Amino acid sequence: MLFNSLTFVVFFLVVLAAYWTMRSWEARKNLLLVASYIFYGAWNPPFAALLFATTALDFYLGRKMGKLHEPRQRRLWLIISVAVNLSMLGFFKYGNFLLENFQWVLARGGIQYKPPHLDVFLPIGISFYTFHSLSYTLDIYRGVMRPTRSLRDFTLAVSFFPQLVAGPIVRAGDFLPQLDAPPKPLKGRFLWGLALMTLGLFEKVVLADTILAGSADRVFGYEGPLIALDSWMGVMAFAGQIFFDFAGYSTCAIGAALCLGFHLKDNFRFPYAAIGFSDFWRRWHISLSTFLRDYLYIPLGGNRLGAARAMINLIIVMFIGGLWHGAAWTFVVWGLLHGSYLALERLVKAFVKKDAAWANNLGVKLLAGLGTYVAVLIAWVYFRASDFGVASRLIGGMFGRHPTGDALLSTREMLQVGIVTFFLLAAHWSLRDISIETAVERLPRWVVTTAWFLMACAIILTQGSSNAFIYFQF
Amino acid sequence: MHSSTSNFERVIPALPWRGITVAVCVFALIAVAAWEIHCRAVGYEPTLNDTEDLWAEARRRVEPESIVIIGDSRAWFDSDLDELERGLGQRPVQLALPGSCAYPVLADLADDPHFHGTIICSVVPRIFFAPGGPPVEHSEKAVRRYHGQTWAQRASHYLSVPLEQSFAFLKQDDLALEELLKDLPIPDRPYAQVPPRAPPYFCSIDRERRARMVEQCARPGPLQEKVKSRWTRLFTPPRPPKFVPKEIFEAKIAEAIEARYRNTKIAVDKLRARGGKIVFVRFPLSGDLKVYEDRATPRAKTWDPLLRQTGAPGVYFEDYPELSGFNCPEWSHLSAGDSVEFSKRLVPHLRAALQL
Repeated sequence: MLFNSLTFVVFFLVVLAAYWTMRSWEARKNLLLVASYIFYGAWNPPFAALLFATTALDFYLGRKMGKLHEPRQRRLWLIISVAVNLSMLGFFKYGNFLLENFQWVLARGGIQYKPPHLDVFLPIGISFYTFHSLSYTLDIYRGVMRPTRSLRDFTLAVSFFPQLVAGPIVRAGDFLPQLDAPPKPLKGRFLWGLALMTLGLFEKVVLADTILAGSADRVFGYEGPLIALDSWMGVMAFAGQIFFDFAGYSTCAIGAALCLGFHLKDNFRFPYAAIGFSDFWRRWHISLSTFLRDYLYIPLGGNRLGAARAMINLIIVMFIGGLWHGAAWTFVVWGLLHGSYLALERLVKAFVKKDAAWANNLGVKLLAGLGTYVAVLIAWVYFRASDFGVASRLIGGMFGRHPTGDALLSTREMLQVGIVTFFLLAAHWSLRDISIETAVERLPRWVVTTAWFLMACAIILTQGSSNAFIYFQF
Repeated sequence: MHSSTSNFERVIPALPWRGITVAVCVFALIAVAAWEIHCRAVGYEPTLNDTEDLWAEARRRVEPESIVIIGDSRAWFDSDLDELERGLGQRPVQLALPGSCAYPVLADLADDPHFHGTIICSVVPRIFFAPGGPPVEHSEKAVRRYHGQTWAQRASHYLSVPLEQSFAFLKQDDLALEELLKDLPIPDRPYAQVPPRAPPYFCSIDRERRARMVEQCARPGPLQEKVKSRWTRLFTPPRPPKFVPKEIFEAKIAEAIEARYRNTKIAVDKLRARGGKIVFVRFPLSGDLKVYEDRATPRAKTWDPLLRQTGAPGVYFEDYPELSGFNCPEWSHLSAGDSVEFSKRLVPHLRAALQL
């Protein structure tokens, strides 16, 4: 069920009405659990069984681990949890990718082998809920949390519908405590939740789908060389589209959760105002970057084993991060590019004094921010391109290798991309050090009212002719 | 008790949210009402959008022995289901899609082991033999939606029907924000590859996907002229790409057209092997568009080889005086009134071709 669909509007209204009418907290949690499985099953009912299987297994393994004190035995159960979860993810998401690569390797050795194509559907949101569930056993192993005794609560924590299919990746340790008692009354929470849902939908259906997606799709789908202007416009359109699409989903999720009295953490913090790549990853898909930091980068040694090892660790983590997004080498290159950016940044920082006066100069900051944005744009090319041919053609176009290439976009499309990108960057820069809540609080009431009204009107004007969220495919 | 690792709580901006929400709702209601009044004032009426979900709903109505209409917008406008039902003894299912190639739908029906009914397939050569692009993608998307429609999509469709039947502004092809932006009069660079716009609103659609031309388009006037001007651009093939040598490009197109003949024959044979029937129909067209189509896609190079290669019967409107006297007000489709008469006159020819 998509947030931007009439079905969701009716579903959410029914859930809200029933939820806030019920008195018993246990009954409300049961309702949320049933609603979450309906929300997920509306795509493909059998996959709800897979979701439950993953959850039940981690619940069982978590309890097992919680009863043990011997580190070796605890590690054994953790390995089982990680192996089963990642095998499930691997089978559904990477099965064909692995077979194709296996075939390629054999062919290099002169062996002709044609593996059968696995006719499997990718369960929607599997990358997200696998990480939701895995965070539980990982945190129990790390001693950060104790196992819950309630299978129902854990099942709800993994499947809670606002964040189930496209994040944020909510760790069990952040969500389970909120199930202990009904939410305390908090003035304005429900209506602020609705306002956030409007903002998220506006980002998704108006900015991402209506204003930017067309240009990005046309540029990335074009089979010939393009001139520099159109190439840059297409990549900037995608950079805006993926931000508004994904941040829009996260904002909707946070808003929907607030309407039900739950608090989810931010997943984005004005990322295109990042100065440097470590700053970018503190602002972009925060729930994934912190997940990878806590459960992969730090266990690999983090930066405790010297500068060279830290750089290798960064590249390994971003390699995995790239692969998490999709079963294709283009995603791996995207991850490796970011890993290299991070490693390079670490190297540069080693030679620059932390408190150097010139580093705090606004001009230098803007230049560094712009450099970060351009590097991120280059990486997006590999993320979005269907293959390396498209990517290299587009990179070539961006850097002027096709001066006689084609002009593809209409003036209107370029204006849309240019105007939205300008305001996107300006907004991120002006808000980079504060939260959305602080920013809204500082605005006069009439501005908040007008902005909300205009967003609502724009959403209605799009008439639901919108696409699925990009991150659903991951 | 759970072991709490987080006491995170979001900050709620301290604003009078109740007042703000009421103001937003009131203003939004007023704005929507004003927009609806404006849309009706400029000629829009409430009608269904021809979405993939509406198509999938029609596709689900196909029974093993159904009569199914497939093809482009000419079959969509010009086929009156009541007349065809009266004449053929069975109410046809309307699966024609405007601006779309019939082949993906034909292949899907041919691959459906339960279907052994009758297909009435409209042929507009430029669209039927399109090697790819929007005409093929549009049909493929509809077929994909039918096979992969989720419960949530189906529910959204059922919820949207009463809304679309009540509000004129819910006209996706014309009045959605994206389409309104496309209407902005902004000049383009001379060589920018801007796709042609589809014609504006000129038909209404019912739950069975029966399209009827609106009166403003059936009589001479600005809407009719606007629609005519759009056909000229839509039917002009795009410039060949610069990045592929001309001879290679032309060879690829010729190969794709040959493949379309071949695959159509395969689909027709499959259907016939199960006892199904098919008749190809060339619906009327007029004016400059007819002159253009006759020149660009002459019958001898498109229609005749199609019938020859597939061995299927065909009804070409120009072959029969009772079918050729119709005038298409905007060159491409019959008016709602004429479509009824045309369908009535078409029935005997369909019966003869299908040996009913």
